[in-house]
Amino acid sequence: MKGKELLINTIRGEETSRTPWVPFVGVHGGYLIGTTADLYLQSSELMIQGLSKAVELYQPDGLPVCFDLQIEAEALGCRLNWSPDNPPAVVTHPLAEGVALKTLKIPGPKDGRIPMVMETAREMRKKFPELGLYGLVTGPFTLALHLLGTDIFMKMFEDPEGIRELLTFTAEVTSTMAGYYLDAGCDIIAMVDPMTSQIGPEQFKEFIHEPASSVFNFIRKSGALSSFFVCGHAQQNIEVMSQTGPDNVSIDENIPLDFVREVCKKYDISFGGNLQLTMVLLMGSEEDCMQHAWECITTADSPRFILAPGCDLPMKTPPENIRAITRLVNDPYQQEVIQALGKTSSKPELLNLDDYGNIDKVIVDIITLDSESCAPCQYMVEAVKQVAPHFEGIVEWREHSIKDFEGITFMSSLFVKNIPTICIDGKITFVSKIPPKNELIRAIQKRINEKLKSRLRIKPGEILLAGESGEELTELKRKTELALAELGTKLDVRIETGEEFRQNLGVADTPAWISVKYRIRSEGRQPTIEVIKEWIKDLL
Amino acid sequence: MSQESLLQEIAVCVERGKVNEQSPYPPDLKGQPGADELTRKVLDMGASADQVLSEGLVPGMKIVGIKFRENKIFVPEVLMAAKAMTAGMNHLRPYFQSGEVQRKGTFIIGTVMGDLHDIGKNLLGMIVEGAGWEVIDLGIDVPAVKFLAALEEHPGAFIGLSCLLTTTMLNMERIVQDVRDSRPDAKILIGGAPVTDEFKTKIGANWYSPDPQGAVDFLNKQVS
Repeated sequence: MKGKELLINTIRGEETSRTPWVPFVGVHGGYLIGTTADLYLQSSELMIQGLSKAVELYQPDGLPVCFDLQIEAEALGCRLNWSPDNPPAVVTHPLAEGVALKTLKIPGPKDGRIPMVMETAREMRKKFPELGLYGLVTGPFTLALHLLGTDIFMKMFEDPEGIRELLTFTAEVTSTMAGYYLDAGCDIIAMVDPMTSQIGPEQFKEFIHEPASSVFNFIRKSGALSSFFVCGHAQQNIEVMSQTGPDNVSIDENIPLDFVREVCKKYDISFGGNLQLTMVLLMGSEEDCMQHAWECITTADSPRFILAPGCDLPMKTPPENIRAITRLVNDPYQQEVIQALGKTSSKPELLNLDDYGNIDKVIVDIITLDSESCAPCQYMVEAVKQVAPHFEGIVEWREHSIKDFEGITFMSSLFVKNIPTICIDGKITFVSKIPPKNELIRAIQKRINEKLKSRLRIKPGEILLAGESGEELTELKRKTELALAELGTKLDVRIETGEEFRQNLGVADTPAWISVKYRIRSEGRQPTIEVIKEWIKDLL
Repeated sequence: MSQESLLQEIAVCVERGKVNEQSPYPPDLKGQPGADELTRKVLDMGASADQVLSEGLVPGMKIVGIKFRENKIFVPEVLMAAKAMTAGMNHLRPYFQSGEVQRKGTFIIGTVMGDLHDIGKNLLGMIVEGAGWEVIDLGIDVPAVKFLAALEEHPGAFIGLSCLLTTTMLNMERIVQDVRDSRPDAKILIGGAPVTDEFKTKIGANWYSPDPQGAVDFLNKQVS
């Protein structure tokens, strides 16, 4: 089960197979296709491209059509300041500049960017029938703030009737937008009202309860599902938000998930969100992202939880971070790995492995979850086990299971991030994928060659000068000896004037300068044919 | 009413957001004098401007800062409290100008370049001003050069950077670097929804607080 079906079942509290995953791709979609936020949010074509790229990369269960809380405000006359890497910001507030509320009209389907956004929704619906499509509408309070500016906070005390009237109007706008999105084929309407995080539960009940409830009633009557998105420190309002009748509440990293779960349980609704946008998704590593996503899933500990970021993804979030979460969500094995890593609360003291590999033998370390219970780990260990005998005692291998603290210490010391991983002489060589036999042999041989090279440094090579006569080579010999002297090194310089010698080497013209370097590839043992083949290839 | 009890009344007016007699808020104090009238009255009775500040306005605003931190009150109440504080503070301006009353120090604030959000920054400004500091508000979308210019004008001032967007956090980092390049000893406080203590350490700012009162505590400690 995946996509729309999984999301709907999760929201309704029906049976599901796993936690649904909804990366809120907004202007990040523009980043994925190499365009700027301002161009992206004004072009249906670019949004469809960006969202399609997100579907391809992130395999989400659901996506928002457009994450921009300024669409309604713009259609109502607020001026916007566009930015290349953020959604636009509202810079003028008509109601604070003398425009009367009664002159404002509910935006029609052709106003502002509404037709462009709905076109995007329709196309996405056609292109991805299985994807859960979120239509995002600006909540009544945030829209009211766009229209009136921050005076709204004091006017709640100084002119409560006026504010109630304004919120009745903005809620109507919100419902109308929800209707447009539903007509365009969206499955879930998310009413995003982040500014409600700035007021207390008493004010919420007094001012927001009614308008918000009217929006959720409208969505329910239309036969669709709804979500109440809030971001910021809104913990005080989760309960009163739940009382307005949404099917889901989605929150950001500022609110503990277990708290939200308990409140939502009481109101029999679903919940989601909570992934940390900046410190983890934007600035963290893939491993941080997986670890954190797993923490969210386990803290939520509920079949009614939807994994999602706290708000729209920062534009330049590294796609590999989001893909790491996709892997975690879809792959029970990755979950097991993250779980094992997460068990160590203390950071291991790193081993000093600077001199690792400075011995005659080549050491192959396999970092695994545990080769007995994890299939990919088992195959990786098998691969090494099969290859090691080819090198007859030169190669020593060992497995480090991260179920032991020693294993984790070793993993951290070698800066290994993924499981399973093969390190050759302390160097990460194969990550996650099981190398085919010949690739593994080649990698090990390469390391052996490197080691031999360093041993050979003390063995001189030689220089051959080939020509028809000694006289012809006098000048070349002089230069070569000068070069050797300037380098402060000593090598034999041999003169070869035999024709047969030149023919054997394929020397076409004289004088010729030939370097000879001897490499001892094996001593006192019988290398296998496989290994000899690798040595020969090195010569070609 | 004694001077002392009037000063306590002023603190209550600030805490409750009672601006003046006409103000309908809070409903239970309707028709009663607010911070505006009471400040005038106590000054006329001979209280010093310093007393009004340190025994009336500052204690009132401190309670507001603490209640805000503890999630007991929210933005609307803080804004009303700040409005009441400003009504009282207006009567003290001549004394500040004449130098009769000294403020604890100067705090230069602004929302960082690229970011137009000002609610958080304004709240911080009001609460810090209400704690007896001079606040120089550079507004929104402020580049490093403006902070440096203000620092030039107010040597020894503290700097407060605010941002709301995750993308402008990166500008915050740049501004801290730029300011430090010219003024390595500058004391920089940062705040805003996406900012964390970890981020403060990463970018080399001096102090992070999730709420305005934390900034007040830090600033007061620096000058005590």
